[in-house]
Order: sequence, then structure tokens, then C-alpha cells
Amino acid sequence: MRITPRITAALAIVVVSAVALTGCASGSAAKSTATTATIGLTAEPANLDFTTTDGAAIPQALLDNVYEGLVTLNNDGEIEPLLATSWEVSSDNKDYTFTLADGVTFSNGDKFTAETVKWNIENVKSDKWTISLKSYMDVVDSVEVVDDTHVTVKLSKPSNDWLFRMTTRIGAMFDPDASTDLANTAVGTGPYTVAEFNSGDSLVLEQRDGYWGTKPALEKVTFKYFSDPNAENSALQSGSIDAISGLSSLDSMSLFSDTSKYTIQDGSTNAEVVLSMNNASGIFKDVRVRQAVNYAIDRQAIITNSTADTGKLIGSMVPPTDPWFDSSLVDAYPYDVDKAKELISEAGVEGATIRFRIPNLANVSAAAQQVQSYLTAVGFKVELDTLEFPAQWLDKVFTGHDYDMSIINHVEARDIATYADPTYYWGYDNAEFQSLVAKADAGTADEQVSYLKDAAALLSKDAVSDWLYLESYVSVVKPSLTGLPANQLGESLNVTDLAWS
Amino acid sequence: MTVLMKPRMSTRHRRSIPASLIAGAVIVGLVIIAALVSFIWTPFDPTITTTDRLLSPSGEHFLGTDALGRDVFSQLLVGARTTLYVGIISVGFAAIIGVPLGILSAAGPRWLGELIMRFIDLLLAFPALLLAIIFGAAFGTSTFSAMMAIGIATAPAFARLARSGALQVLSTEYVLAARIARRGELDIAVRHVLPNILGMLIVQASVCYGVAVLAESGLSFLGFGTPPPTPTWGRMLQEAQAIMFTNPMLVVWPAVCIVVAVLGFNLLGDGLRDRFDPKMEDNR
Amino acid sequence: MLMRFARRTGILIATLIVGSMAVFLLLRVLPGDPAQVALGVNATPEALAQLRHEFGVDRPLPVQYLEWIGGIFRGDFGTSYVTGRVVAAEISKRVSVSVWLVVLGQLAAIVIAIPLGVLAALRQRKASGTVFAGISQIGVAVPSFITGLLLINIFAVRLGLVPSGGWTAPTEDFGLFVEQAILPVLTIGLVQGALLSRYVRSAALDVLREDYIRTARSKGLMPLRAFLRHGSRNAAVPVITVIGLQVATLIVDTIVVERVFVIPGLGSLLFDGVANRDLLLVQGIVLLIVATILVMNYIIDLLYLAIDPRMRRSA
Repeated sequence: MRITPRITAALAIVVVSAVALTGCASGSAAKSTATTATIGLTAEPANLDFTTTDGAAIPQALLDNVYEGLVTLNNDGEIEPLLATSWEVSSDNKDYTFTLADGVTFSNGDKFTAETVKWNIENVKSDKWTISLKSYMDVVDSVEVVDDTHVTVKLSKPSNDWLFRMTTRIGAMFDPDASTDLANTAVGTGPYTVAEFNSGDSLVLEQRDGYWGTKPALEKVTFKYFSDPNAENSALQSGSIDAISGLSSLDSMSLFSDTSKYTIQDGSTNAEVVLSMNNASGIFKDVRVRQAVNYAIDRQAIITNSTADTGKLIGSMVPPTDPWFDSSLVDAYPYDVDKAKELISEAGVEGATIRFRIPNLANVSAAAQQVQSYLTAVGFKVELDTLEFPAQWLDKVFTGHDYDMSIINHVEARDIATYADPTYYWGYDNAEFQSLVAKADAGTADEQVSYLKDAAALLSKDAVSDWLYLESYVSVVKPSLTGLPANQLGESLNVTDLAWS
Repeated sequence: MTVLMKPRMSTRHRRSIPASLIAGAVIVGLVIIAALVSFIWTPFDPTITTTDRLLSPSGEHFLGTDALGRDVFSQLLVGARTTLYVGIISVGFAAIIGVPLGILSAAGPRWLGELIMRFIDLLLAFPALLLAIIFGAAFGTSTFSAMMAIGIATAPAFARLARSGALQVLSTEYVLAARIARRGELDIAVRHVLPNILGMLIVQASVCYGVAVLAESGLSFLGFGTPPPTPTWGRMLQEAQAIMFTNPMLVVWPAVCIVVAVLGFNLLGDGLRDRFDPKMEDNR
Repeated sequence: MLMRFARRTGILIATLIVGSMAVFLLLRVLPGDPAQVALGVNATPEALAQLRHEFGVDRPLPVQYLEWIGGIFRGDFGTSYVTGRVVAAEISKRVSVSVWLVVLGQLAAIVIAIPLGVLAALRQRKASGTVFAGISQIGVAVPSFITGLLLINIFAVRLGLVPSGGWTAPTEDFGLFVEQAILPVLTIGLVQGALLSRYVRSAALDVLREDYIRTARSKGLMPLRAFLRHGSRNAAVPVITVIGLQVATLIVDTIVVERVFVIPGLGSLLFDGVANRDLLLVQGIVLLIVATILVMNYIIDLLYLAIDPRMRRSA
């Protein structure tokens, strides 16, 4: 009986706070009609500002849909005109003159002109942008406005890579007069604006008035974010969403085998799942030990177990969609336990201990346990150490280089050049490789392909890493919804072609 | 919070052995046996991955294989070890921190008692899950760091129990007698209080044990449980969770193990309480 | 009386100060650089240093603490490192979701637990009582994410009765709110209810042993009526204490349910905040939770003081 006041008080507090705090919750689960669609995704944007916040989720939602660049990447990975209708390159490959589309406005009505381009490129080079990707703009020397619809970008040296990077987030065109609160407002020239951003739930794109290009078919597209794969699958099965873009539990594909209800798209990505080895210290300084690791692991088996057979063998840091992919590298190190053991004993590292420090991500954990199994079979002692991702992994492995071996998927496009940076966590310092990458960037388009082919082959020969597999991009869509991009080759999930049939 | 009160199975027949005690002891015994057996024998090495994935149960693989081609039965056997370990660490931490604080707060000077109880209040206000996640981030994700956090978060329950038990014992006649004999308060506490509240503490421990096993599976779901490659029931559940509607049995086996083990510890606790708790009416 | 009130208030303030320091320090010992997480891979040392400066994490700890706590006194919890939004606004948005989840979930738990527990106690010697007790024992031992996923599979996927997840504020669309909230509330209700029913049973058993119940039964009252008429109020006392504690821990523990049902509640905000090293956000949430629990204890103690004459005298 004595406790009665305690009860009353407790209940009173609960009720009062309930009443006081239920002011404004927001959410959305709008049933899709002919002019709206809801797409399920996994990674949620932290905010709307990709100039200062890293991560794939923000450009995935906003690029091409809300923000547009001079050029864009089509779904086959080719550069296409967007805000620039055409461009000319000078004979020394250093000056790019863009002709801009006419009558382009931002969603707030502001005009997009050559001055806007100049401001944006200079802005990327300024302190306003903080993410590391801004360094792709370093090669730009100056920007000259010719007239309202013509602008010339002068590079300090020829760079094939630069125009490609202009299709990514660094090429996005912001309104100079509306760029103070990028984290919460997004003003672009694209066909959609951000109508709602409910953190922990969804992001709603709504068509704007006065879009300069072709109007998309759908009035409203909602991205709904799921951190649990089962929740996402159930949402599609029960019809709360219309598509899953990038299925995370590939073994559950069989849930969607009914072709009258679902279409499965098997698309390509740039996401190489890399078993990295620290080339700069420990036993992996020795190329023979790295080669032994490559021989010791049955990558096809890992693809079967981890990706339900959807992953692809790559053999180097190049996805098959890049022009310099070389299929002969795929079989450079067939699964051969004896060969591995031979190399290990040659190098004199039998029974060595490997510090295998992995991020606490489900897909990595599955691959890592298999790698551990294979490496134990050839006599290594593997200490698996799971680090909290992102903070701890970035700190210890990526920045601190305090590791022997790790796994992460490298999702960035054309990231073979990371091997040319000796301070990168690979610890790979090879002058020949660095010069190949530099020459590829400076040369003609054909030279770029041949030099990068040589570079990829060199990586394979040096067994710098073990490229376990290339992730595929599986989407499940209701059959009547068309236009969902199958591939994830650029940074955006372009929904401007979505339509109900 | 499950640990502040102790439900029970039976209140009469205090002298006979309650059925719950027997059932609980049998289940816990099975878990211990499974763990011991796993040290000398498992059908397969539970950490070796193969391409024989998602096999149905057979004479070779009694319960089939998981998505990475590992033998499920072998993993369950070894997982029993982790289950025991998880409980021992978290309950151990809770008891080692909580019991001395509780007794000290009852037997020590008044200001100290007050200070300790305020500290306990504060500790109780920190969410256990948050501690576990922060410890995982700070000391690396490991069973030990997760269970240390769960242990610290359950320590207040032990402290309160020990304090209330100690206060009762300290007001009894034989303690008064000891006081008159000019024994030190601490000496009295250790001599008289601890043996008297031991029964209650054992009950508390068995209940906490179940809570810890469940907490481990919840943390695994969030990626902060026992890291690979050590097989645990919680992580088996988490790994199979993504495919639970295509391969439901992979979820069922570890889930049944967790349910039965937690049930066993709870029953054991209830039974012990019915059997040994001398002051059931008024122990809070 | 007044002395005691003043003393208790003093203790509350002291505990709150110590608590806020504990919250602050707990997050500062957390390794990992918020700037590094925000900028991601390949960040230059200069950019990192600049961002650390912007976040203010490069200053001495006491300065950071005083600035943070000073801001809170002005109602300013700071700005999130990640979203760039005001922390207080972020938190209150999530609290408005979590409060519904916790309150409704706990109500469901009570509705489930009381009949289950009371029946298990009344039929203690019969097979049916063992069955009721067994149900609650098993219910306690099933992890909540399994319960949630099974409910989704049955009611959303197979039967198509309700959506599989999501959240809508009741003020926005009440019908949709009910449809979406029913499964998560049921999940919390089942898990917490199973636990609670064990305490209900225990409390009911205690009461049933009391002399006045025996007297009532000897007058010819049926066990259930005797319990309801004479015992239920006494049995309610310890049970409601447990409910209070359950509500306090539920605020964070619902994160698993939030994940499964895709609900933007406080638990997932906290979890993501730790992962992103969004220190001010996490500090704000934890301080709020800790302070709420401490203040609740304080109010309860004061009510004791006001109501219970024995405690008044002992002051």
C-alpha cells in the first residue's frame, strides 16, 4: 500500500509527457497510385548536404533527381550531356568548352547560367566543400565565362578522369543564392524537389514546376529506408512499397520468384569487395605471401555462399563495365591449396599469425569467416577482430594502417587509382604503377584504356589485394513499374524515367 | 528490471523439492553437458565454412548446414559454451559490484549508505543497451565487453537486494548480540549478513542469467554481440534472420535453444527461491 | 518536513550534475573521431582539423562540458554534427513517436499480463495454471525481433491485414496510425506482457496466502471473486512498481522493434548517433533519459513524504 503514491506519480508523469510530446510526428506510407511510387532502399542519408557529409546515400537520392550536373552517367556507364548540351575539348586536352542548355532554372526560379557553373566549380575548390572527393576538382586551373551559355574550364594538365568525375556529386550545380542550408534544403535544376525528409524513415521527391527538360511521368517518388532486410522484403510482399532497389539479403530472392508479381533485375555495380593486405608492413610485405593468399581462397565458393551466386569474379580492381576490364586476370590465381602452401614455405611464414580486422557489417562478416576458414586450412593462424563501423574501422585500419588484413567493399567508381597513392591503407608503393595511372589520365582515350589495362595487370601480378568479388545490384520491382535503373554505376539512383504501365 | 522482484512457482511445500527446481536443474544441466561435450567432440568443426550450404538435416548433418555451409548441430554445441560464459561474466560483474555496495550501504556509516544509494540510482538511470553499445565501441566488440556492460547495468538490482537483505539481518537479535560483543560492523556483515542473503542472491543470479542470454541475442541483432568466428546462439539467430522466411529452421534451432536455456535458468531460479528463500513475503 | 524537502531537492540537483558529467565523459572516452566519420575516407588532415574545430571537439574537456551544460540551461542542446539541425528539435520529433510506442506497448502488456498472471496464480495447482505459467515463461524467453518478424509475416505478408511497418502520427491520419501501430504495439505488449505476468502471478500468490482472503473464501466466495474483491488492490502495488521500471527501460529497448517495423523512434536515433559519433545528439538523448528517470524518482519520493506520516516524522 505504501507504494501507491509512487504508482500515481509514475502514471501521471507518463500521461503528461505523452500528451505534451505528441505534438508533431511525421511519417509517410502513402499508398502508391498511378503518379506516385515508393522505392525501398537500405542506407539512409544523414542529411541533404553531400558537400560536407560523406556517404553514398545522399547523392544516391539527390543527384540527377534534384541536382543536375553538366554531364551525367547513363545506366550503361557512359557520359551523356545534361545541363551542357555539348562540349569541345582543345587539342592539348586541357580546355573544355561547354555549351549550356537554354532556359534552365533552379526550383526556386533562379536562372542557371555560365556564371553559375563558374561559381560552382570554384566553390568545390574552396573550403566550403570538405569531403575528400573534392580533390578530383584540383586539376581545374580556372573557369572562364564566355557568354551566358558558354563556359570554358581550363585544366592544369590533361585529365581523362575529370569529365567522368563531373558526373558525380562534385559536378552538381547548386544555386549560389540558395546554398546556405544545404543540410536541410536542396535547390537544384532537376525535375524533382525534396518535399519531405523524415530522418529514420523516408525522403519524398515531388515534381517541381517549370522544369527545363522533359517532365518525368511520376508526380511523387518516395525513398523509404530500411535498416532490416526482412522488414524491406515484407514491405514489398505486403505492397507497402513498389520496388526494392539493391536487395540486401540475396538468399531471400526466392521469395520473389513469382514473375507475375515481381520482376528481378540483376544489375552491375562498381562495388569491389576487397580482401586488403597491408603491403607496407608485416608478412604481407612479401609478394609471395600475398600470392599464396590469392591461391588459398576459393572465390567462386565465397560468391556462392555470400551472394547467392550473383557476385562476379574480377581478378583486379576493375569492374567489367569499365573499358579497361581484362577478363584474363580473373583466372590469374586459381584455387590451389598446394601452390599456396608452397609459396608460404618459400617465404618462410608457415603458421604465421594474421591480424584480420574487419568492420561489423553483416556481409563482411560472412566473407571474413570464409576467408578465415581457407587461410586456416593452409596453416595460417587468423585472429579475427571485429571493429565498430564506421568510426573504429576508419580510425584503426583505414587511417591508422594498424592491420594485416581486412575486408570492405569499395563502391566508388574507377577507384583503381587509389593504388597509386602510397599513403592509402593498401600500403602499396610502386613507381611503375603510379606512372601508368598518371599516363592513363593524361593520354588519349585509347591510351587511357591500354595504360589502365597494364595497371590492372600489374596489380594482379603483385597480388596487392585479393579481389574477392564484384557485388551485383539486384532490384525487385512490381512488373507494372518501369524505368527503375538496373545498374548502380554512377552515384545516383535516377528515378526520372519511372513510370507505371 | 526483471531482476528486482522474483516471481516464483510455488509457495507451499517449502520443504519438498519443487518441480520447477528439478526441471530447471535438468535443463541447465543439459546446457552444461552440451558445452562440456563440445570441448571433446563435435560432428564437424563449427567454424569451417564449406560450399555444402543450406543442407537439410541428414545422418551426416543432424540439423543441416547454414548459409556458409557450417554444421548447425556442431555450432549449437559450441554455442552452449558461449551461453554459459555470457551469463557468468554478466552475473559475475553484477554481483561483484552490486553485493559489496549493497552491504556497505547498509552496514557502513549513514552518509556512505546514502551516497552509495544515490550512485545506484544514477546507474539504474543509464540504459543497459546504450552501455553495451558504447563499451563495444570503446573496447572492441567482444562478448566480454558486451556482458560487462550488461553486468554493470544489472548491478543496481543486486545492490538493492543486498541492501534490503542486510538491513533486515542487521536489525535481528543475534546481530544486536554481536554488536554488544563489540564486533565491527563489517565483520558482522561478512559473518552474518552474507550467509543470510546468499539464497536470495542465488535466485537473483539465475534470473539475471536468463536476461543476459537474451541480451546477447538482442545485441547480436544490432551487430554488437559476440563477434565471429565464435559460434553463439545469438549470432546464429542474427545470421539466419535475413533468410528466416526461406530457411526457417535455421532460425528455429538457435531460437529453441535460447528459449529452453532461458526457461531453464528462470525455472531454476524460481525453484531455488521456493526452496531456500526464508523471507519471501518481504524482501524488497 | 521542509528540511527533508530541501535535502531531497539538493540530492536531486547533485545527482543530476554528476549524471550529466557521467554522460559527457562516457561519450568522450568513446574512441573514434566525429570529423573522420563525417568526412569519410580520404579526408585530408587539414579538413579534419577544420571540422574538429567547427565541432569544438579540439578544446579542453572542461570547456566543452561547461559550454554544453551552459547551453542546456538556456534550452540549447547544441547542433547535430551530422544533420546540422538543432538537437532539441531532432529529439522531440523522435520522442513524440517513442512515447506512443512505449505507452501503448506497455498498456498492451498490462492487458495481456494481468489475466494471464492472475489465472496462473488462481489455478496454481491445476494443469491450466501450469499452462498459463508456461506461456509466460516461454514468452519471456523469445527475443523480441523474432516475435516482431513472425507477426509481420503472418498479419502483413500472408493475411495482408495491416502494413508491414512504417509510422504515421495519429494527428495526421488516425486510421493509418492504428493500422501501422498495431503490430509493433502487440510485439512490445507480448514481450513485456510475458515478463510482467510473472510478477502479476507472484504478487497474486502473495495476496492469496493472506488471512483475509482465506476468511473471504471461508465465507463461501469463489477464489476469483475473493481475489478481485479483497486482494486485487494489494496485489497491484508491487506490479505497478515493475510497470514503472519497464516503461523507463523500454524507451531505449524499443530500438529492436523500431528496426523491425521501420519506426523513426528515439532508440534508433540514439543508435545511429553513436555510430556517427554525433556526440551532442547522443549526449542530449542520454541526459534526457537519465534526467527523466531521476526526476521521476524525486517526485515519487516527495509524494511519499507528503502522504506517509511515518516518513514525515522520521525527518
